[in-house]
Amino acid sequence: MSVLDRLLGRDLHSLAAPYALDALEGEEKRRFERHLKGCHRCAEEVRALTEDAVRLAWSTAAAPPAALRDRVLTAVRLTPQEQSARDLTRVRAAHQPTRARAPRLRPLFAPLATATAAAALVVAALFAVQVTQARDQLDQERAQAREIAHVLAAPDARATGERDQSGRGIGVVASASERRAVVTLSGLGTPSGGRVHQLWLMRPNENPRSLGLFDGDTPLVADGLDPNSTSLAVTVEPHGGSQQPTTSPVVQLALETVGFGE
Amino acid sequence: MEADELLVLVAGGDQKAFEELYGLVSGPVFGLVRRVVRDPAQSEEVSQEVLLELWRSAPRFDPGRGSALSWILTLAHRRAVDRVRSARAATEREQREGQRNHRPAFDQVAEEVEAGLEREWVRRCLDRLTALQRQSVTLAYYDGYTYREVAERLSLPLGTVKTRMRDGLTRLRDCLGGVA
Repeated sequence: MSVLDRLLGRDLHSLAAPYALDALEGEEKRRFERHLKGCHRCAEEVRALTEDAVRLAWSTAAAPPAALRDRVLTAVRLTPQEQSARDLTRVRAAHQPTRARAPRLRPLFAPLATATAAAALVVAALFAVQVTQARDQLDQERAQAREIAHVLAAPDARATGERDQSGRGIGVVASASERRAVVTLSGLGTPSGGRVHQLWLMRPNENPRSLGLFDGDTPLVADGLDPNSTSLAVTVEPHGGSQQPTTSPVVQLALETVGFGE
Repeated sequence: MEADELLVLVAGGDQKAFEELYGLVSGPVFGLVRRVVRDPAQSEEVSQEVLLELWRSAPRFDPGRGSALSWILTLAHRRAVDRVRSARAATEREQREGQRNHRPAFDQVAEEVEAGLEREWVRRCLDRLTALQRQSVTLAYYDGYTYREVAERLSLPLGTVKTRMRDGLTRLRDCLGGVA
Protein backbone atom coordinates (compact mmCIF):
# COMPACT_ATOMS: atom_id res chain seq x y z
CA MET A 1 0.00 0.00 0.00
CA SER A 2 1.68 3.20 -1.17
CA VAL A 3 1.42 6.61 0.46
CA LEU A 4 -0.50 7.78 -2.60
CA ASP A 5 -3.04 4.98 -2.16
CA ARG A 6 -3.53 6.00 1.42
CA LEU A 7 -4.01 9.63 0.53
CA LEU A 8 -6.58 8.70 -2.08
CA GLY A 9 -8.34 6.50 0.45
CA ARG A 10 -7.76 3.40 -1.66
CA ASP A 11 -6.92 1.30 1.38
CA LEU A 12 -10.27 2.25 2.85
CA HIS A 13 -11.94 1.59 -0.44
CA SER A 14 -10.78 -2.03 -0.39
CA LEU A 15 -12.86 -2.53 2.75
CA ALA A 16 -16.10 -2.38 0.76
CA ALA A 17 -16.38 -6.17 0.43
CA PRO A 18 -15.65 -6.94 4.11
CA TYR A 19 -18.12 -4.21 5.03
CA ALA A 20 -20.83 -5.70 2.80
CA LEU A 21 -20.28 -9.05 4.54
CA ASP A 22 -20.51 -7.43 8.01
CA ALA A 23 -16.91 -8.49 8.52
CA LEU A 24 -15.64 -5.18 9.89
CA GLU A 25 -15.88 -4.12 13.50
CA GLY A 26 -14.86 -1.46 15.96
CA GLU A 27 -12.88 1.61 14.94
CA GLU A 28 -12.16 0.22 11.47
CA LYS A 29 -15.86 -0.06 10.78
CA ARG A 30 -16.59 3.45 12.06
CA ARG A 31 -13.75 4.86 9.97
CA PHE A 32 -15.11 3.18 6.86
CA GLU A 33 -18.63 4.43 7.55
CA ARG A 34 -17.33 8.00 7.87
CA HIS A 35 -15.50 7.53 4.59
CA LEU A 36 -18.70 6.22 2.94
CA LYS A 37 -20.59 9.41 3.69
CA GLY A 38 -18.24 11.42 1.51
CA CYS A 39 -17.50 8.82 -1.16
CA HIS A 40 -20.35 8.36 -3.59
CA ARG A 41 -18.49 5.72 -5.57
CA CYS A 42 -17.85 3.63 -2.43
CA ALA A 43 -21.47 3.90 -1.37
CA GLU A 44 -22.54 2.60 -4.77
CA GLU A 45 -20.07 -0.23 -4.57
CA VAL A 46 -21.12 -1.20 -1.04
CA ARG A 47 -24.73 -1.22 -2.20
CA ALA A 48 -23.98 -3.58 -5.08
CA LEU A 49 -21.80 -5.87 -2.95
CA THR A 50 -24.45 -5.95 -0.22
CA GLU A 51 -27.01 -7.11 -2.77
CA ASP A 52 -24.54 -9.85 -3.72
CA ALA A 53 -24.02 -10.89 -0.11
CA VAL A 54 -27.77 -11.09 0.43
CA ARG A 55 -27.93 -13.73 -2.32
CA LEU A 56 -26.13 -16.02 0.12
CA ALA A 57 -29.18 -15.80 2.37
CA TRP A 58 -31.39 -17.35 -0.31
CA SER A 59 -30.15 -20.78 0.58
CA THR A 60 -30.92 -20.52 4.27
CA ALA A 61 -34.68 -19.88 4.55
CA ALA A 62 -36.38 -22.02 7.19
CA ALA A 63 -39.85 -22.06 8.73
CA PRO A 64 -39.82 -20.17 12.04
CA PRO A 65 -41.61 -21.57 15.12
CA ALA A 66 -45.34 -20.76 14.98
CA ALA A 67 -45.26 -19.03 18.38
CA LEU A 68 -42.87 -16.41 16.99
CA ARG A 69 -45.63 -15.02 14.79
CA ASP A 70 -48.01 -14.35 17.70
CA ARG A 71 -45.30 -12.75 19.76
CA VAL A 72 -44.10 -10.48 17.00
CA LEU A 73 -47.57 -9.44 15.86
CA THR A 74 -48.65 -8.62 19.41
CA ALA A 75 -45.43 -6.76 20.07
CA VAL A 76 -46.04 -4.77 16.91
CA ARG A 77 -49.41 -3.66 18.24
CA LEU A 78 -47.59 -2.43 21.37
CA THR A 79 -44.61 -0.78 19.76
CA PRO A 80 -44.55 2.75 18.36
CA GLN A 81 -42.65 3.25 15.12
CA GLU A 82 -39.69 5.55 14.73
CA GLN A 83 -40.47 8.86 13.16
CA SER A 84 -38.83 9.39 9.83
CA ALA A 85 -36.69 12.52 9.45
CA ARG A 86 -39.51 13.96 7.36
CA ASP A 87 -42.05 13.57 10.17
CA LEU A 88 -39.79 15.29 12.69
CA THR A 89 -39.53 18.27 10.37
CA ARG A 90 -43.31 18.35 10.21
CA VAL A 91 -43.60 18.28 14.01
CA ARG A 92 -41.30 21.28 14.26
CA ALA A 93 -43.17 23.14 11.55
CA ALA A 94 -46.42 22.60 13.47
CA HIS A 95 -44.91 24.46 16.42
CA GLN A 96 -44.33 27.67 14.47
CA PRO A 97 -46.64 29.81 16.71
CA THR A 98 -43.71 30.08 19.14
CA ARG A 99 -42.16 32.46 16.65
CA ALA A 100 -45.14 34.82 16.92
CA ARG A 101 -44.74 35.10 20.66
CA ALA A 102 -41.13 36.22 20.46
CA PRO A 103 -41.69 39.93 19.59
CA ARG A 104 -43.60 40.45 22.83
CA LEU A 105 -40.29 40.27 24.63
CA ARG A 106 -38.94 43.21 22.70
CA PRO A 107 -38.07 46.06 25.09
CA LEU A 108 -40.19 49.08 24.32
CA PHE A 109 -37.48 51.56 23.30
CA ALA A 110 -34.65 49.26 22.38
CA PRO A 111 -32.77 49.98 19.18
CA LEU A 112 -34.14 47.85 16.37
CA ALA A 113 -30.96 45.85 15.85
CA THR A 114 -30.83 44.77 19.49
CA ALA A 115 -34.49 43.87 19.47
CA THR A 116 -34.04 41.71 16.40
CA ALA A 117 -31.03 40.01 17.92
CA ALA A 118 -32.97 39.39 21.14
CA ALA A 119 -35.89 38.02 19.20
CA ALA A 120 -33.55 35.79 17.25
CA LEU A 121 -32.09 34.47 20.48
CA VAL A 122 -35.53 33.74 21.84
CA VAL A 123 -36.51 31.96 18.66
CA ALA A 124 -33.31 29.96 18.83
CA ALA A 125 -34.00 29.05 22.45
CA LEU A 126 -37.57 28.02 21.68
CA PHE A 127 -36.39 26.00 18.74
CA ALA A 128 -33.93 24.23 21.03
CA VAL A 129 -36.83 23.40 23.34
CA GLN A 130 -38.74 21.92 20.42
CA VAL A 131 -35.79 19.78 19.43
CA THR A 132 -35.32 18.62 23.03
CA GLN A 133 -38.98 17.74 23.24
CA ALA A 134 -38.78 15.73 20.05
CA ARG A 135 -35.71 13.97 21.44
CA ASP A 136 -37.40 13.36 24.80
CA GLN A 137 -40.31 11.80 22.99
CA LEU A 138 -37.91 9.65 21.01
CA ASP A 139 -36.05 8.65 24.19
CA GLN A 140 -39.34 7.80 25.82
CA GLU A 141 -40.36 5.67 22.85
CA ARG A 142 -37.00 3.93 22.92
CA ALA A 143 -37.25 3.28 26.66
CA GLN A 144 -40.69 1.85 26.10
CA ALA A 145 -39.50 -0.34 23.25
CA ARG A 146 -36.72 -1.61 25.53
CA GLU A 147 -39.25 -2.36 28.27
CA ILE A 148 -41.40 -4.30 25.83
CA ALA A 149 -38.37 -6.09 24.42
CA HIS A 150 -37.37 -7.02 27.97
CA VAL A 151 -40.73 -8.65 28.69
CA LEU A 152 -40.65 -10.35 25.30
CA ALA A 153 -37.18 -11.71 25.91
CA ALA A 154 -38.32 -13.67 28.97
CA PRO A 155 -38.28 -17.37 28.08
CA ASP A 156 -41.91 -17.76 29.15
CA ALA A 157 -43.20 -14.58 27.48
CA ARG A 158 -46.56 -15.14 25.85
CA ALA A 159 -49.03 -12.94 24.08
CA THR A 160 -52.78 -12.81 23.93
CA GLY A 161 -55.45 -10.36 22.90
CA GLU A 162 -59.18 -9.77 22.71
CA ARG A 163 -61.23 -7.61 20.37
CA ASP A 164 -65.01 -7.18 20.33
CA GLN A 165 -67.21 -6.60 17.28
CA SER A 166 -67.05 -2.84 17.60
CA GLY A 167 -63.25 -3.02 17.40
CA ARG A 168 -62.53 -2.34 21.06
CA GLY A 169 -59.59 -4.44 22.11
CA ILE A 170 -56.89 -5.19 24.62
CA GLY A 171 -53.57 -6.88 23.94
CA VAL A 172 -51.01 -8.19 26.39
CA VAL A 173 -47.53 -9.67 26.38
CA ALA A 174 -46.83 -11.23 29.76
CA SER A 175 -44.16 -13.20 31.52
CA ALA A 176 -45.19 -15.14 34.62
CA SER A 177 -41.57 -15.57 35.74
CA GLU A 178 -40.92 -11.81 35.48
CA ARG A 179 -44.38 -11.13 36.91
CA ARG A 180 -44.67 -8.43 34.33
CA ALA A 181 -46.95 -7.54 31.45
CA VAL A 182 -47.17 -4.93 28.72
CA VAL A 183 -50.76 -3.98 28.00
CA THR A 184 -52.18 -1.99 25.13
CA LEU A 185 -55.69 -0.78 24.24
CA SER A 186 -57.18 -0.23 20.83
CA GLY A 187 -60.38 1.33 19.55
CA LEU A 188 -61.37 2.76 22.92
CA GLY A 189 -60.62 6.39 22.17
CA THR A 190 -60.12 8.90 24.99
CA PRO A 191 -62.91 9.10 27.59
CA SER A 192 -64.71 12.45 27.68
CA GLY A 193 -64.69 15.01 30.48
CA GLY A 194 -61.13 14.40 31.65
CA ARG A 195 -61.94 10.84 32.66
CA VAL A 196 -59.34 8.09 32.23
CA HIS A 197 -58.95 4.40 31.39
CA GLN A 198 -57.72 2.52 34.43
CA LEU A 199 -56.26 -1.00 34.33
CA TRP A 200 -57.17 -3.53 37.03
CA LEU A 201 -55.77 -6.88 38.02
CA MET A 202 -58.48 -9.36 39.00
CA ARG A 203 -57.66 -12.11 41.50
CA PRO A 204 -59.89 -14.76 43.08
CA ASN A 205 -61.39 -13.74 46.44
CA GLU A 206 -59.59 -10.40 46.42
CA ASN A 207 -60.41 -6.84 45.48
CA PRO A 208 -59.26 -5.64 42.08
CA ARG A 209 -55.80 -4.06 42.26
CA SER A 210 -55.03 -0.94 40.19
CA LEU A 211 -52.17 -1.43 37.71
CA GLY A 212 -52.19 2.17 36.55
CA LEU A 213 -53.81 4.68 34.21
CA PHE A 214 -53.52 4.67 30.45
CA ASP A 215 -52.10 7.71 28.75
CA GLY A 216 -53.71 7.68 25.30
CA ASP A 217 -52.34 4.92 23.06
CA THR A 218 -49.19 4.45 25.13
CA PRO A 219 -48.75 0.84 26.30
CA LEU A 220 -48.82 0.34 30.03
CA VAL A 221 -46.12 -1.75 31.69
CA ALA A 222 -47.53 -3.57 34.74
CA ASP A 223 -45.15 -4.96 37.36
CA GLY A 224 -45.56 -7.35 40.27
CA LEU A 225 -48.34 -9.52 38.86
CA ASP A 226 -49.35 -12.34 41.21
CA PRO A 227 -49.11 -15.82 39.74
CA ASN A 228 -52.75 -16.44 40.69
CA SER A 229 -54.06 -13.41 38.77
CA THR A 230 -57.01 -14.46 36.64
CA SER A 231 -57.74 -11.51 34.38
CA LEU A 232 -57.21 -7.87 33.45
CA ALA A 233 -60.03 -5.36 33.23
CA VAL A 234 -60.26 -1.76 32.03
CA THR A 235 -62.80 0.71 33.42
CA VAL A 236 -63.50 4.40 32.83
CA GLU A 237 -62.73 6.36 36.00
CA PRO A 238 -62.73 10.02 37.07
CA HIS A 239 -59.62 12.14 36.48
CA GLY A 240 -56.70 10.75 38.52
CA GLY A 241 -58.20 7.26 38.81
CA SER A 242 -60.03 5.46 41.62
CA GLN A 243 -59.14 3.23 44.57
CA GLN A 244 -61.60 0.61 43.35
CA PRO A 245 -63.48 0.36 40.04
CA THR A 246 -66.61 2.56 40.00
CA THR A 247 -67.94 1.46 36.59
CA SER A 248 -68.21 -1.88 34.83
CA PRO A 249 -65.31 -2.93 32.60
CA VAL A 250 -65.21 -1.76 28.99
CA VAL A 251 -62.84 -4.62 28.10
CA GLN A 252 -61.62 -7.66 29.96
CA LEU A 253 -59.00 -10.32 29.24
CA ALA A 254 -58.33 -13.71 30.85
CA LEU A 255 -54.66 -14.32 31.70
CA GLU A 256 -54.75 -18.11 31.71
CA THR A 257 -53.25 -18.48 28.25
CA VAL A 258 -50.26 -16.32 29.19
CA GLY A 259 -49.22 -18.48 32.13
CA PHE A 260 -51.13 -16.95 35.03
CA GLY A 261 -53.83 -18.37 37.30
CA GLU A 262 -53.06 -21.96 36.27
CA MET B 1 -48.26 -7.96 -2.88
CA GLU B 2 -44.48 -7.75 -3.09
CA ALA B 3 -42.27 -7.06 -0.07
CA ASP B 4 -41.34 -3.63 -1.46
CA GLU B 5 -44.94 -2.40 -1.67
CA LEU B 6 -45.76 -3.89 1.72
CA LEU B 7 -42.80 -2.27 3.43
CA VAL B 8 -43.92 1.14 2.21
CA LEU B 9 -47.37 0.52 3.75
CA VAL B 10 -45.75 -0.73 6.95
CA ALA B 11 -43.73 2.49 7.11
CA GLY B 12 -47.08 4.29 7.28
CA GLY B 13 -48.10 2.25 10.34
CA ASP B 14 -50.24 -0.37 8.52
CA GLN B 15 -50.37 -3.42 10.82
CA LYS B 16 -52.28 -5.58 8.31
CA ALA B 17 -49.51 -4.97 5.79
CA PHE B 18 -46.98 -5.99 8.44
CA GLU B 19 -48.81 -9.31 8.94
CA GLU B 20 -48.56 -9.97 5.23
CA LEU B 21 -44.93 -8.91 5.16
CA TYR B 22 -44.25 -11.24 8.09
CA GLY B 23 -45.56 -14.12 5.96
CA LEU B 24 -43.10 -13.26 3.21
CA VAL B 25 -39.94 -12.53 5.19
CA SER B 26 -40.08 -14.45 8.47
CA GLY B 27 -38.77 -17.64 6.82
CA PRO B 28 -35.77 -15.99 5.17
CA VAL B 29 -35.03 -13.96 8.33
CA PHE B 30 -35.29 -16.92 10.71
CA GLY B 31 -33.31 -19.20 8.40
CA LEU B 32 -30.48 -16.72 7.98
CA VAL B 33 -30.30 -15.95 11.69
CA ARG B 34 -30.27 -19.65 12.54
CA ARG B 35 -27.53 -20.30 10.00
CA VAL B 36 -25.32 -17.71 11.68
CA VAL B 37 -26.33 -18.06 15.34
CA ARG B 38 -26.86 -21.88 15.35
CA ASP B 39 -28.44 -22.11 18.79
CA PRO B 40 -32.23 -22.54 18.23
CA ALA B 41 -33.43 -20.57 21.27
CA GLN B 42 -31.06 -17.67 20.59
CA SER B 43 -32.01 -17.73 16.91
CA GLU B 44 -35.64 -17.31 17.81
CA GLU B 45 -34.79 -14.45 20.14
CA VAL B 46 -32.68 -12.64 17.55
CA SER B 47 -35.31 -13.17 14.83
CA GLN B 48 -37.92 -11.66 17.12
CA GLU B 49 -35.70 -8.61 17.69
CA VAL B 50 -35.10 -8.26 13.98
CA LEU B 51 -38.78 -8.51 13.02
CA LEU B 52 -39.77 -6.01 15.69
CA GLU B 53 -36.99 -3.68 14.58
CA LEU B 54 -38.31 -4.07 11.04
CA TRP B 55 -41.63 -2.66 12.22
CA ARG B 56 -40.04 0.13 14.26
CA SER B 57 -37.58 1.33 11.69
CA ALA B 58 -39.68 0.77 8.55
CA PRO B 59 -40.10 4.58 8.14
CA ARG B 60 -36.35 4.73 7.50
CA PHE B 61 -36.53 2.39 4.48
CA ASP B 62 -35.66 4.22 1.29
CA PRO B 63 -37.01 2.32 -1.76
CA GLY B 64 -34.59 4.24 -3.97
CA ARG B 65 -31.61 2.55 -2.35
CA GLY B 66 -32.35 -1.12 -2.87
CA SER B 67 -34.96 -3.82 -2.50
CA ALA B 68 -36.99 -4.35 0.68
CA LEU B 69 -35.89 -7.95 1.02
CA SER B 70 -32.25 -7.04 0.84
CA TRP B 71 -32.74 -4.23 3.39
CA ILE B 72 -34.48 -6.67 5.75
CA LEU B 73 -31.94 -9.46 5.34
CA THR B 74 -29.08 -7.01 5.81
CA LEU B 75 -30.66 -5.98 9.10
CA ALA B 76 -31.12 -9.64 10.11
CA HIS B 77 -27.53 -10.52 9.19
CA ARG B 78 -26.11 -7.62 11.16
CA ARG B 79 -28.04 -8.60 14.31
CA ALA B 80 -27.15 -12.27 13.94
CA VAL B 81 -23.47 -11.44 13.55
CA ASP B 82 -23.58 -9.14 16.60
CA ARG B 83 -25.04 -11.98 18.65
CA VAL B 84 -22.64 -14.66 17.49
CA ARG B 85 -19.62 -12.40 18.09
CA SER B 86 -20.62 -11.56 21.65
CA ALA B 87 -21.37 -15.23 22.32
CA ARG B 88 -17.97 -16.16 20.88
CA ALA B 89 -16.22 -13.52 22.98
CA ALA B 90 -17.90 -14.93 26.10
CA THR B 91 -16.86 -18.48 25.20
CA GLU B 92 -13.29 -17.39 24.61
CA ARG B 93 -13.26 -15.64 27.96
CA GLU B 94 -14.48 -18.80 29.66
CA GLN B 95 -11.87 -20.83 27.86
CA ARG B 96 -9.09 -18.46 28.89
CA GLU B 97 -10.30 -18.64 32.44
CA GLY B 98 -10.31 -22.41 32.15
CA GLN B 99 -6.59 -22.22 31.25
CA ARG B 100 -7.22 -23.90 27.94
CA ASN B 101 -5.81 -22.69 24.71
CA HIS B 102 -8.39 -24.33 22.56
CA ARG B 103 -9.74 -22.75 19.42
CA PRO B 104 -13.07 -23.76 17.94
CA ALA B 105 -12.52 -26.31 15.20
CA PHE B 106 -12.72 -25.16 11.62
CA ASP B 107 -16.35 -25.78 10.94
CA GLN B 108 -17.06 -26.87 7.44
CA VAL B 109 -20.61 -27.58 8.49
CA ALA B 110 -22.36 -30.49 6.91
CA GLU B 111 -25.72 -29.26 8.08
CA GLU B 112 -28.77 -31.23 7.08
CA VAL B 113 -30.68 -28.93 4.79
CA GLU B 114 -33.96 -29.09 3.02
CA ALA B 115 -33.75 -29.33 -0.72
CA GLY B 116 -34.77 -26.20 -2.56
CA LEU B 117 -34.18 -24.68 -5.92
CA GLU B 118 -32.58 -21.55 -4.53
CA ARG B 119 -30.47 -23.54 -2.12
CA GLU B 120 -29.28 -25.66 -4.99
CA TRP B 121 -28.43 -22.60 -7.09
CA VAL B 122 -26.43 -20.97 -4.33
CA ARG B 123 -24.57 -24.20 -3.65
CA ARG B 124 -23.73 -24.62 -7.32
CA CYS B 125 -22.54 -21.05 -7.63
CA LEU B 126 -20.45 -21.34 -4.47
CA ASP B 127 -18.85 -24.44 -6.03
CA ARG B 128 -17.70 -22.32 -8.95
CA LEU B 129 -15.63 -20.05 -6.73
CA THR B 130 -12.05 -20.90 -5.91
CA ALA B 131 -11.59 -22.54 -2.52
CA LEU B 132 -10.14 -19.36 -1.02
CA GLN B 133 -12.89 -17.15 -2.41
CA ARG B 134 -15.51 -19.53 -1.09
CA GLN B 135 -13.97 -19.85 2.36
CA SER B 136 -13.39 -16.10 2.69
CA VAL B 137 -17.00 -15.32 1.80
CA THR B 138 -18.69 -18.09 3.78
CA LEU B 139 -16.60 -17.75 6.95
CA ALA B 140 -17.64 -14.11 7.06
CA TYR B 141 -21.25 -14.37 5.95
CA TYR B 142 -22.43 -17.68 7.38
CA ASP B 143 -20.15 -17.89 10.42
CA GLY B 144 -19.89 -14.23 11.35
CA TYR B 145 -16.09 -13.93 11.42
CA THR B 146 -14.44 -10.56 10.80
CA TYR B 147 -12.12 -10.37 7.80
CA ARG B 148 -9.19 -10.20 10.23
CA GLU B 149 -10.31 -13.45 11.85
CA VAL B 150 -10.81 -15.00 8.43
CA ALA B 151 -7.27 -14.03 7.47
CA GLU B 152 -5.95 -15.61 10.63
CA ARG B 153 -7.92 -18.83 10.17
CA LEU B 154 -6.85 -19.21 6.57
CA SER B 155 -3.31 -17.98 7.26
CA LEU B 156 -3.61 -15.35 4.53
CA PRO B 157 -2.51 -11.70 4.42
CA LEU B 158 -5.33 -9.21 5.08
CA GLY B 159 -5.09 -7.77 1.59
CA THR B 160 -5.59 -11.18 0.03
CA VAL B 161 -8.70 -11.84 2.07
CA LYS B 162 -10.21 -8.50 1.08
CA THR B 163 -9.59 -9.29 -2.58
CA ARG B 164 -10.94 -12.85 -2.30
CA MET B 165 -14.08 -11.52 -0.66
CA ARG B 166 -14.65 -9.01 -3.40
CA ASP B 167 -13.93 -11.47 -6.21
CA GLY B 168 -16.06 -14.12 -4.55
CA LEU B 169 -19.06 -11.80 -4.26
CA THR B 170 -18.67 -10.54 -7.82
CA ARG B 171 -18.52 -14.08 -9.16
CA LEU B 172 -21.62 -14.99 -7.22
CA ARG B 173 -23.33 -12.02 -8.82
CA ASP B 174 -22.44 -13.29 -12.29
CA CYS B 175 -23.59 -16.79 -11.46
CA LEU B 176 -26.79 -15.98 -9.56
CA GLY B 177 -27.68 -12.82 -11.43
CA GLY B 178 -29.75 -14.75 -13.97
CA VAL B 179 -32.19 -16.04 -11.36
CA ALA B 180 -32.66 -12.81 -9.40
